[in-house]
Amino acid sequence: MSTLKIENLSKQYGDVTALEDVSFEIEDEFAVLLGESGAGKSTMLRCVNGLTEPTEGTIALDGTEISDSQTDVGMIFQQHNLVEGVSAYLNALTGSLNRVSMLKSLFQWQSREDKLRALEALETVGLLEESHQRVSQMSGGQQQRVGIARALVQDPRLLLADEPVASLDPSSAETVMGYLRKAAAEHDVTALVSLHQVNIAAYFGDRFIGLKDGEKLFDVRRDELTPELIDDLYGSVETVGLAEQDETVEEILNNGKAPETASKPEAVTEEIEA
Amino acid sequence: MSTPRPESKSIATYFGYGEAGDSDAEQKLQDLKRRKTKRRLWTLASVIGGGVLFYFSLVVIEFNLGMLYNQVPQFIDALYGPNNYFPPGELFGIPFIDLGAYWSFMMEENLILTIEGGRIVWGAMFVTLAVAFAGSVLGLPAALLFGVMASERVIPYPFNFAFRATMSLIRAIPGLVWFLILIPLGGVGPFTAALAIMIDTTGYLGRLFTDELEEIEDGPIEGIRSTGANRSQVVSFGMLSQVFRQFIAWIAFDLEHNVRAAIGLGLIGGGGLGLELYVQRQTFHYTNMMACIILIFLLAGSVELLSQRVRSYLREEDDVEKSGVIEALVNAPKNILSSTMGRRGH
Ligand SMILES: Nc1ncnc2c1ncn2[C@@H]1O[C@H](COP(=O)(O)OP(=O)(O)O)[C@@H](O)[C@H]1O
Ligand SMILES: [Mg+2]
Repeated sequence: MSTLKIENLSKQYGDVTALEDVSFEIEDEFAVLLGESGAGKSTMLRCVNGLTEPTEGTIALDGTEISDSQTDVGMIFQQHNLVEGVSAYLNALTGSLNRVSMLKSLFQWQSREDKLRALEALETVGLLEESHQRVSQMSGGQQQRVGIARALVQDPRLLLADEPVASLDPSSAETVMGYLRKAAAEHDVTALVSLHQVNIAAYFGDRFIGLKDGEKLFDVRRDELTPELIDDLYGSVETVGLAEQDETVEEILNNGKAPETASKPEAVTEEIEA
Repeated sequence: MSTPRPESKSIATYFGYGEAGDSDAEQKLQDLKRRKTKRRLWTLASVIGGGVLFYFSLVVIEFNLGMLYNQVPQFIDALYGPNNYFPPGELFGIPFIDLGAYWSFMMEENLILTIEGGRIVWGAMFVTLAVAFAGSVLGLPAALLFGVMASERVIPYPFNFAFRATMSLIRAIPGLVWFLILIPLGGVGPFTAALAIMIDTTGYLGRLFTDELEEIEDGPIEGIRSTGANRSQVVSFGMLSQVFRQFIAWIAFDLEHNVRAAIGLGLIGGGGLGLELYVQRQTFHYTNMMACIILIFLLAGSVELLSQRVRSYLREEDDVEKSGVIEALVNAPKNILSSTMGRRGH
C-alpha cells in the first residue's frame, strides 16, 4: 500500500531538457512508462530512485519527499547491474545492506531473517535451486530475475524497473515480466516500469503514462489505451512497422492477449505458479 | 627493400616525392608512399640514436673483450674441482658431481632446518621465506588502503592524488635503499628486511590495486547505490567485489616477487640465504655458494609455482560457485591442491 506522487518534475542536462513539468500520481498499481528512446523514461526513474537529482519539482512516497537512494525504493536496471563474480544469493543479499552495519555486512553477518528473506525472494522469482550459481554464468533472463530478487530483499514500498526486458528475447521477456508482476502483487508494492514494447506493456500494465520529448503525453488506465494514443506517442510516421503495430495494439485491446505468442501466456503462468 | 619496378618513373616516385598522377587513387598512392618514407626515416634515426647511446654506455662501463678472454680460463677453473661450483665425486660408481658436499654444507650451516632436542630450528631458507611472507602480510593492509584511496572512483580527483603521490615516492626508492634507510630503526637483519619489503609492497601492490580499480564497471556500483547502502558499502560491495579475484592474483604475484627481493636484501645484510651466499663468496667457497644457489632456486621456484597455481585457479574457477571472502580463504588450500593435481575444486 503506497502512493507515489510526482509534481512538476523537470530535469535539465545542460541544454538538453530530459523532463519538463511532469506530474502524476500512482497508487497500488502496476504502472508502465511508455515512450520512444530519448523520451525521458530513464531520467524519470533515476530521479525517483535518487540516482539523479531533478532540476525542479518534487517526488513523494506516501507523503514523504524522496531525495536520495533509499531502501524503500527498489530498482531493476536494464543491464541488471549485479556483481557478476558472486552468487545470485549474495547479490540478493545486498538488498539488505541498508539494515546492517558496514562491518557486519563485510563478514556476511546479516541476520538470519535477512538471509532467509534473500532466499525467499529468489524463490519468488523461481531461482531458489540456482541461488548458489554465479551471476556471470546465468542467462540474461535469470540475471534480471536476480535483480528483481535484490529489489524485493530491500522490502520496498515502490518498485522501479528501467526497460527490464529490453535486452531479452521475447520469450524470456515475458517470463521476466510475469515474475515482476507476481513479485509486485505478492509484496503488495506499487510498481513503475518503463518499457518500449507496446504489446508487452499492454499485456502486463494497469496504468499507462506516455512520455514524449520529456513531456507527459497521456496518463490512462488499461481500458483507455487506444491505438491513436500509441500513434501519437511514437509519431504518426506511416511505416509498415507502425501499421503492423497498430493492428497489434488493437488485437491486444480486443482480446487482452499478447499477440505474437497467443499460446504463451498460459505457459508463463504455469511456470510462475510452478 | 625491393628495387623500384621498371615501369616506375624515378627514385623520387618510389619514395613518394615524384610527380603524382592525375587520378585520386594515384595521388593517394603517392601520399601513402610519403608516409612510409617518413616512418622509415624515423626508424633509422631511432636506430642510430640507440646505437650512439649504447656505444657511450660501453665506454662508461669500460667494456673489455680482452679481459673476458683472459679471464675465461679462470672462470672455467672455478666451475669444476674441489671447493668449486661443481665438486667432482661419484654417483653409483660413475664420475659425477659430489652432491654430498652441497648437502653437508646445507646441514652444517643449517640452511634448511634442524631439530635440536625436539625443537625445530628454522634455517636460512625459512628465514628468507619468513622475511618475504611477513613483509608481504604487513604491507598488505597499507597497500589496500593506499590502493583504494588512490582511485578516482573512491576519492574525488585532487584528494586521491595524495595517496597516488605517496605510492610513487615509495616506488622511486628501490627496496634495497629502503633497507639501508631503515637500519637505524631495526638494525642489520631480517627484521629490517621485512620492514623494507612491507614498504615496497605498499608502493607496488597498492599501485596494482589502483590500476585494477580503474577498470571497474559503473553498473554494479549504481546497483548497490540504489539499494540505499551507505558510502563504504558501495565501495566494498559495488567496487571491491568486482576486483576481488584480481586482487588475490596480484597478492600471489607480489609474494612471489617479494621472495626474490628478500634474497637480494639478504646479500646486503638482511639475513637468510642471501647473507649466507654473500659470506661464502667473500671466502671464495664456491661449493658452498652453489649449495645456497640450489636452495634459492628451489625456494623461488616453488613459490612461483604456487603463485601461478593460485592465479590459474582463479582463472579456471569460472564455472565454480564463488563463496564469501572468509570461506574462499578457508577453501583456498584445498582448491589450490586439487588444481595443482590437474583437477578442479568442488
Ligand atoms: N547523463 C546525461 N547527460 C546528458 N544528457 C542526458 C543524460 N542522460 C540522459 N540525457 C538526455 O536526456 C534525454 C532523455 O534521456 P533518457 O531519460 O535516457 O530517455 P529514455 O530512457 O526514454 O530513452 C535524452 O535526450 C538524453 O540524451
Ligand atoms: Mg532509457
